[in-house]
Order: sequence, then C-alpha cells, then structure tokens
Amino acid sequence: MNRTVLIVGGLLAATLVGLLTLSLDRDPQAIASPLIGREAPTFALREIGTGRTVDLAQFRGKPVVINFWATWCAPCWEEHPVLVANARRTPNVQFVGVVFQDTEEKIQNFLNARGSGYPTLVDVEGKTAIAYGVGGVPETYFLDATGKIVAKYNGPMSTDILQEHLQKVMQ
Amino acid sequence: MKRLALLVIALAVAAPYLVHALQVQPALKVPDAEQFVGKPKGTALAGQALYLRTNQVAALLRCPVCQGLSVADSPSEMAVNMKGQVRELLQRGYTEAQILQYFELSYGQFVLLEPKFEGVNTLVWLLPLAALIGGAVVVYFVLRKLSAPTAGQRPAANAPRPDDPYLARVREMVGGEGKS
Amino acid sequence: MIALLGKNLILISLLVSVAGALVGFVSGRTGSVDGLRWSRRFAYLYAALMVAATFVMEYALLTHDFSVSYVAQVGSRSVPTWVTIVSLWSSLEGSILFWGLVLGLYIAGATWFTRRDNAETMPDAIGIWLATGAFFSFLIAGPANPFHTVPNPPFDGPGPNPLLQNHLLMAIHPPFLYLGYVGMTIPFGFACAALLRGRLGASLTRPLRASLLLPWSFLTIAIMLGGWWAYEVLGWGGYWAWDPVENASLLPWLTATAALHSMLVLERRGILKGWTVTLVQATFLLVLLGTFMTRSGVFNSVHSFTQSAIGPTILVFLAISLIFSIALLAMRIDKLEAEGRLEAPLSREGMFLVNNLIFVLLTFTVLVGTVFPLVVEAYNGKQMSVGRPYFDAMAVPLGAVLLFLLGVGPALPWGRASREQLRRKLVLPIAGAAVFATVGFAVGIRSPWTLLTLAFGGYAAWVTIGEMFLPMLQRMRSGASFGNALVEGQLRRGRRRTGSYIVHAGAVIVIIAIAVGTTMKTQSEHQLTKGQTVEARGYTLRFNGVEQRSEPHRTATIANFDVFRDGKLVTQLGPRMNQYQMMREPIGTPDVYTTAGGDLYLSLMNVDIASQSVGIHVIATPLVVWIWLAVIAMGLGGLMALFPPRRSAVAQTAVAPPPEPAVAVPTEPETA
Repeated sequence: MNRTVLIVGGLLAATLVGLLTLSLDRDPQAIASPLIGREAPTFALREIGTGRTVDLAQFRGKPVVINFWATWCAPCWEEHPVLVANARRTPNVQFVGVVFQDTEEKIQNFLNARGSGYPTLVDVEGKTAIAYGVGGVPETYFLDATGKIVAKYNGPMSTDILQEHLQKVMQ
Repeated sequence: MKRLALLVIALAVAAPYLVHALQVQPALKVPDAEQFVGKPKGTALAGQALYLRTNQVAALLRCPVCQGLSVADSPSEMAVNMKGQVRELLQRGYTEAQILQYFELSYGQFVLLEPKFEGVNTLVWLLPLAALIGGAVVVYFVLRKLSAPTAGQRPAANAPRPDDPYLARVREMVGGEGKS
Repeated sequence: MIALLGKNLILISLLVSVAGALVGFVSGRTGSVDGLRWSRRFAYLYAALMVAATFVMEYALLTHDFSVSYVAQVGSRSVPTWVTIVSLWSSLEGSILFWGLVLGLYIAGATWFTRRDNAETMPDAIGIWLATGAFFSFLIAGPANPFHTVPNPPFDGPGPNPLLQNHLLMAIHPPFLYLGYVGMTIPFGFACAALLRGRLGASLTRPLRASLLLPWSFLTIAIMLGGWWAYEVLGWGGYWAWDPVENASLLPWLTATAALHSMLVLERRGILKGWTVTLVQATFLLVLLGTFMTRSGVFNSVHSFTQSAIGPTILVFLAISLIFSIALLAMRIDKLEAEGRLEAPLSREGMFLVNNLIFVLLTFTVLVGTVFPLVVEAYNGKQMSVGRPYFDAMAVPLGAVLLFLLGVGPALPWGRASREQLRRKLVLPIAGAAVFATVGFAVGIRSPWTLLTLAFGGYAAWVTIGEMFLPMLQRMRSGASFGNALVEGQLRRGRRRTGSYIVHAGAVIVIIAIAVGTTMKTQSEHQLTKGQTVEARGYTLRFNGVEQRSEPHRTATIANFDVFRDGKLVTQLGPRMNQYQMMREPIGTPDVYTTAGGDLYLSLMNVDIASQSVGIHVIATPLVVWIWLAVIAMGLGGLMALFPPRRSAVAQTAVAPPPEPAVAVPTEPETA
C-alpha cells in the first residue's frame, strides 16, 4: 500500500468532490451585494410622464424601496402589481422605480395599461444601475430612513418576500 | 386707471402659470464615482491613449450579465455602458486602481477578473508557486533514485516470473524440486 | 412508437453493459477464456445497441417526429437539413446519446484490435469500459432521456439554439471533441487493467499508447476548432478566454500529452510506469470533471447547458471513479517494477521528467484557477472571479518553458552523452534562435517576452527539423537517392518519428503565432456613414451602406465594406447582426479577411439602417491563420505516429537497449 499516493490522492479527491457537492446548491447568477450597510448612492433623475426631476435626497426621513426593472423582463410583469399594491398600503414607505435598458415609450405604455402609484425614473446611460451594482432585473434595494441600504433582493418578489424586507427598513 | 387695474389682475392671474412654465427643473444627477473613490488621482487622458487605456482597464472588469467575458470584449448593453463609464473616468483623470475600486464597491469582488492579492485570494497565486517548488523537489529526488547504480535490476527477458502458472504446474509435476 | 423503441434500446444497452462488466471482472479474476469471449461479445453488442439508438434518433429528427421529446425540443421544419442532422448534439440529452454512440464505437474498436493478444488483461479492460458504458446508458435512460413520448406532439418545433446555427464550425467542433474526450476511456481501461494485474509490460504498452494517441489527436483539433469558432463567431476578436468549459477541454489534453511523453521513456527504459499510469487515470478523471463542469450549471460559462439532475449524477460517478482509481493506484503501483534505470539526468529521459512536471503544473494551475471561486465561496460566502488576466499571467511563463523544452529536449541524446556530444547538440541550434529573434526585431517586435519566445522558437525549430529528417539524411549519406531516402526513411520506416516531430513543429508554430499575434495586434473603433472611408493597418475600408436580408429563421442587418490595399480592391466584408425570432438581443457575426500574414477582422458595435450609419471595431491580428493550420498539422502528425511499422514494435522489448551513440546506424529502425 503506497501511503503517499493514498494520502495525496485522497486529499485531492476529497477536496474536489466536497467542493463540487457544496457548489451544486448555489446559483452562479446570484451575486451578493457589497452595498449593504453603506449609504445609498445619490441620484436625481427625470420622472416618466411628468418630466419632473426626482432627487433621492428628498425622501430622507422615510424608508425607500428602489426597484430596477424593464418591460422586456417577464418576472417584472408579475412583480409590478405586488409593488403597486404595497406602495398604496404603506404610504410611509416611498417606492421608486428605475428603468433599466429600456425605451421610454415602452415603459409609458406599460404604466398606462397597468397603472402606477409611485415615480418611475429614467436612468442616464445606465450609470445609476452601475453604481448600484445591478446585474439583471428585477433587483430591489431597501433603504432605511437615514438613506442606508439595509437589504437587496434579486429577482421578482412576492408579497411575503416584500413585506419581510419591509420589516427590516421600518425599524 | 382701469387699464392699469386690468393689467395687474391679468398679471396676477397669469403669474402662477408663468412661474410654472419658466421654472427650470433641477439638474439631473447620476451617482458619481467621486462618492465612492474620491477625487481623481491621475492625469486626464485623451485621444489614442485614452482609447488604448480604456480597453486595457475594461479588460480587467467582468461583465456582470455575461458569462465570463470582460467588459472590453462583451457586446451587451451593460458592458457598453460600463465601458463608457471607464472611458469617462479615465478622461477625468481617475487611475486604474480607483476605477477598479469603484466597480468593486458596487458589484463586489466578482467584477474583478484578476483576483486581488489579499486574504484567502492569495492562495490562487501561491498554490501554483508551491506546486512548482514541490514538483521540482520531487523531480530532483526521482531523477536521483532512477539514476542510482542499483536502480532497476533488469530481469533477463526470459526469466520465468515467480507467479507464472506454467512454472507452478511444472514444479508440481516434478515434485517441488528446484525452486527458482 | 419511435420514442419507445429508442428508450428500449437504451435500457437493453444498460443491461448488456452491466452484464458485460461483471463478466469481464469475474473473468479477470478466474482467467476464464470463455469469460473473455463473452465479455467481448457483450462489448460488440453494446456498440450495436448504441448505434441503433442513434439511428432511431436521427430518423426521428429527419422525419420531424415531434412525438419524441428531444425532437420537440430542438427540431424544426424551417431549418436546413444539415442543421437537423447536427442538432443531435446541440442540446444536453442528445449530446449524451452522442457520447454513448462514440463510446460504443471506441469500445468495439478497442476490443477488435486487441482480439489476438493480451488475454490476461483484456477482461479487466473490457470490464472497465463497459462499466463506464453502463453509467452513460443509465444517464440516457434516466436523467438525460431524449426518448420521452410527447402526449400532444406540436406541429413544429423551435429549432436548436441560434448561436449554433450561425456557423458550420458548430457542426464539427462537438464530434471532434467527443472523439477526443470519450476516447480517453479506452486507455483508462488499459491502465486500470495493468494495475489490477500488477504488471505493465511491452505487450500492453503498445495498445495503451495507440489508444491514447488516437483520442489525443482528435482532442487537439477539437480544442483548436473551439477557439476558431469563438474567433469567427463571437465578435470580440479573440479565440481563448479561459472560460471554465474551455479549460475543461484543455485539462485532459495536458495530462494526456504528459502521459504520451512519459510512455516514450517507459518504452525505451522500462521506467516511469507509475507516472504513466497515474497520468492516464488523471486524463479520464479530468474528462469526467470536464463533463460535470459543462453540464452541472455550477460554473458560469458561455457554453453551459442548463442546470438539471444530470450534475449530481455525474458527480457521483466522478466520486466513485476517483475512489476506485486512487485505491487501485495506492494498492498496486508498487508492483509496477522499474525495469531499467536512468543513465544521466542531463539526457532526453531526464528532460521528459521535467516535461511531465511542467505539464502537470500547468494542469494544476488551470484547475486551481477554475475552481477557486467555488473555494472562496464555500469558505466565506463571497463571490470572486478568476479570469483571463490570471490565466494569461500563469500560462505565458509556463508556455515559454515548454517552448524551451521543445528545443532542448529532443536535442539531448538518450542516455549518457559525452561533453563533446552535448556541446555539439546544444550549441548549434542557437543559430536558429538568433535568426528568429533577429527577424522578429526587424519586423518591429519589441516586446521582450515575444522576442524571447521567438528565440526559443528558433532554437526548437532547428532541433525539430534536424531530428525529424535524420533518417532521411543518414540514408542519403550512405548513398540512397533523395526520393528513396525520403520515402523509406520518413514515410515507410520512420512514420512514428516523422509524425511526432510534425506535432512538435506544429506546437512551435502555434506558440510563436500566439505570442506574435497577441503582442502585435492593433485595434480601433470607428463611426461611419455611407461612403466614408477609414485606414487601418495598411488597408483602406470604404463603407457602402447597410442592407437588410430576410432568411427563413432570421433577419440579417449587414454593413457592406470594400477593402482596398495599395489602391486595389482585395475583398468585400459584411459584418452583420442576426436577429433570430426567439431571441431578444441580436447576435453579431463578424467578417474576417484572412491572409498568410494576418487577419483583418470587422465586427459591428452599432448599426442603423435608416441613417445608413455604422459603428465598427477593426482588429488586425498577425499570423492567426497559422494557429489553425499548425494545430491541424499536430493532429495529423499524431495520427501519422499512430501507425509504426510492425518491425519497430517487435524491437521494443522489456530489455532496455544499451545507450546509443549520438548518430544511429541507418539499418536500425528509427524511433523517436
């Protein structure tokens, strides 16, 4: 029995197989956000429809939910009514939508057909998305009243998930 | 007098609308790198130098929506936006380190294609080096062992092997004499 | 009905392979001659069943039988016939069926070619092969079943992934890859059988070598085809991104190359048996790892098939194979006695050991880099990336060392050599180094790494040409005519030597072409409107406008360019964006003008048909075409070296030949 082979080979094999087994659970698309716990990047963007400039700073003092989305993203269609309903139900939380890689016309048509209860803003050359580390849509950021990012959720939210995260910012 | 009063009333009625029409919206503001990494620490670039440097720095950043391609190589809209951001920051005089740090602060280490030499990441740089040294040592000892004067006594091509079944039968028949 | 037929064929193949494996292993222990005969029958039967199942699937595809689940997944009435045929391997389930087909054919072939010898070891080898076959049949019958019956078959299907329809290379890259990958099962069987026997002698070395060289040749070409396809289709102007799936194809190639070299020492001196067997086992295990990486969804890659139940199944088989291989190695490796010794470390044999070290190091480094993000995430939950900059930084110095060995290794004679001989062999080729480096400098190369690469390359080129044509020159020196010497010395008697040195020559060319191409590449971006011209690398490009063309499955927006050099029109290029019906973003396809000196590569950044404007990326890379041609030469050289004349095989006995003089006498059969 060659001990060297056994030990070296055994170690290599155990490490490799163990590693691959652990990794089977993970989703290579889900990337954790380093922004959590830090102050949210500031922005002032144009609102669709009214043309007003909406500044994030004006919501200081209230928790804010920022949702990045697009009309070409099927899960965003499912998520939209959940957001609108919750925005109405919790008026002390400010909801804001930011458009990600889409045309104003499509967004406007979508909102006209399905309604909205909060401002939807247009990004400039994707810079806001980049600053927030957005890698896909929908992605939602939860800010507390001081403007700090407390949580982030990748993917479409159900009412339960949304309310679970809202608890975190309403403390 | 009446005309003046009418003018004043007209102005008073029109005033709010005029104010609203003339009201300029506050300037748009996108999150700026300055919030993340402070003021530019390098020299501003332009022209061909800017073009080359943009490609170099973009090649170190990973496109978050693609599968492994760098921002320099990816044709996706996200990568094009990021590359534009890199170009703008270089134009303003940010250094490569600052630009990489800016993206790292919003996307995490995931976006850096070259692993930073810190913490557990050092292993990815050190393990191959350790393997090189270890391997060289092993090769040295193997070379020595194999060239030792007593190494590998060559058995003669026709020498019967100890577990040869035919030899065993012969021995059986001959009655166990003459072991090899 | 057809789905049922296919499913049953696979189930029978599962039974046959399990039975055959059992018979093989039992016969290996008892030495039963009947057992061997039956295991061979099972092997042929397995192959027949896999061929039949593949026929059934292709029939279903070509007749657009959408009641078969795989056809419903990738079939379409509106794609060209060749696309229908190759859609067999375009998606996961079909590709595993294809794997089974190639495996069956290899097993049948290996069983046929060894039908007359090695009766002691064949049962074990067949046992291993059929055990592997059983696993893949299990996969096809279970998690990756393409033969499900669709209850309400649709009238038409979506067709295979559009990216795969864009280019013909997509049709031939997978078959070559599978011929390479799957084929590594055969030498694995021989290696394990040798360990089980406790003996690795000349009679087994020959089939071991042949069964490794054949898939190696295919894998070499397959890797190149993958790179070539990426270059021609993906639009970023490069051919290798160190993507996890690219790495997966490279890892077994590296260990297989090391094993081939190790085997040369084994043949000559009867040493390094343990190394060789370990490397062959590692090659097969890396193939399993590679297929896991591609199919499990664990790795972020351009290539990945989607996540499914296949991942865990392959992982289990990989774990079992690892445990089996390591246990077998630990228990039996000491039985493989060395039959010779090394005369001197500074010899060709010594260099082979160093060669092994470098290849294993390269394998280790690429493997570590590829799985490292998983390690970090398991350790602290954070995601990080290990990308191109890391791998390039590691591969470049190791590549330079390999190129150095390509020169010095074959220059050194076998066994001990005198000072004088060493000096003559090692110093003369420096002239080659000087010539190459000077030429490089003269054409404008200033990068130190590239000049060093050229110097090493020139040295290696001198040595390779010299060693390759040695038999011919010796014959001519003893009076033979040029033609006679060439045919007899190089092609009839010296095929193995010639083939091997062709591989080396190809490798030298590839490394030089990569180095020069990378450092001397130029690129620029331009926004143009119709009629505008732009200069790039000595060419003048005139933009003639944007047109749109409708094809049955896609709409193409093409930007047309005239390309002039020295005032003369040399070609027309049409980089395009293809919009497929079911994809959101269009897929860009570049257009390339290839010459011996370099490529002119155009890809679109943005295009607008209304304003007739276009944004293009112009990339000029020198010597790219030589990479593809040289690798094809490497593959052909490997195939050539596969067929040595029978006489030299007999001369390779377990007795190591005495140290040869530096110049061999012409009457001895020449081997590398």
